[in-house]
Amino acid sequence: MRSPSMSSRLMVVFAALVLSSGPLGAHHSFAMFDSANKTTISGTVTKFEWTNPHVFIEVDVPGTKGDVKHWSVELGSPSILLRSGWKFTDVKPGDKITAILNPLRDGRPGGMLYRLTLPDGTMRGNGTAPPADPPATRSAP
Amino acid sequence: MRTGHAIAAAVLLALVSGSIVRGQSGQPVSNVPTITGAWEPMRGGPGAPAPTPPSAIVLKAPYAAEWQAKRAAQDEATKKGEPLATLGSECLPYGMPTMMAVANYPMEILQTPGQVTLVTEVHSEVRRVFLDRPQMKLEEVPPGYSGRSVGRWEGDTLVIDTVGIDPKVAGYQSLPHSPQLRITERIRLVAPDILNDQITLDDPVVLEKPVTYTLAYRRLPKYEMVEFVCDNNREYTDDKGVVRMKVLEK
Repeated sequence: MRSPSMSSRLMVVFAALVLSSGPLGAHHSFAMFDSANKTTISGTVTKFEWTNPHVFIEVDVPGTKGDVKHWSVELGSPSILLRSGWKFTDVKPGDKITAILNPLRDGRPGGMLYRLTLPDGTMRGNGTAPPADPPATRSAP
Repeated sequence: MRTGHAIAAAVLLALVSGSIVRGQSGQPVSNVPTITGAWEPMRGGPGAPAPTPPSAIVLKAPYAAEWQAKRAAQDEATKKGEPLATLGSECLPYGMPTMMAVANYPMEILQTPGQVTLVTEVHSEVRRVFLDRPQMKLEEVPPGYSGRSVGRWEGDTLVIDTVGIDPKVAGYQSLPHSPQLRITERIRLVAPDILNDQITLDDPVVLEKPVTYTLAYRRLPKYEMVEFVCDNNREYTDDKGVVRMKVLEK
């Protein structure tokens, strides 16, 4: 395990990665996500992919009229997540979760995770300690 | 006594000059530093040394215009939220020199007799640096992602010469390069747990003068490198060359 100071440094780096599409050169640019806005979704996990180059959480999100909309939530790589305290068993199909994410800019139901709340109320960041509440989030369209 | 003084002076000279003393097995037993272990690229932040400013990048015409146009296209695509595909986004190797620092992914260095091996965590790329062997002629090295590297210890500095980088491999700051690209690295511990890699790119076809920049790494004691097999790439490239995330329907 790394020291808290190392985690802090990782937070800074990963925050920079999420916010920047610059020369840091992770697997892909994050410019496809809306870094200025957040969306909150709550629903049931249908699939959890602990894979490279990215981890994904698939979520069925109930609408207000009995409909269900499916969302794909992208996370960092297993390497990035492991270093911030994740385990590959943290999420399972059937889990009721809430995710705050930076949505795709092209409007499709997907995004990059900002913070996840697990069924027991514990939280996970995306390569960081769970970040604070963002100033405002939008409900899923 | 004179003989004793001479031996002491020779030992002192060897230590000061950093020359390699070899034992009966022929293996170095001198002051070659131990850099075996995991290292994390440092990108500023607490404890990071002041970065050495990179040298100016001056390209020959017409590469300069081509490079600026490419960078402008990348910037415009990024502003629109439609980033352009790269080797990395397609899960292909980053290659040299980009692979030496991708985000904050660690890199493992292994020192064995006659070879230094560098293994990056992201995409599990491997570089083999053959020690104390001559470099091949440029035209004899088949182009690849990491090229052919030979190295030698100059005192406390591992000097690596690399050729044979395929022009399709993205360069530093998206620089283009020709088959004549030669990369010289000077890897040195600047503190017990801080490693620097001074990288010089020399390409007489593309560059007016060599470009030099320095990467810094922090030692990660006891870090266990993580498997990274890119077998679920949900970022695809559309018909405009834009990277998009695959959204599942259910």
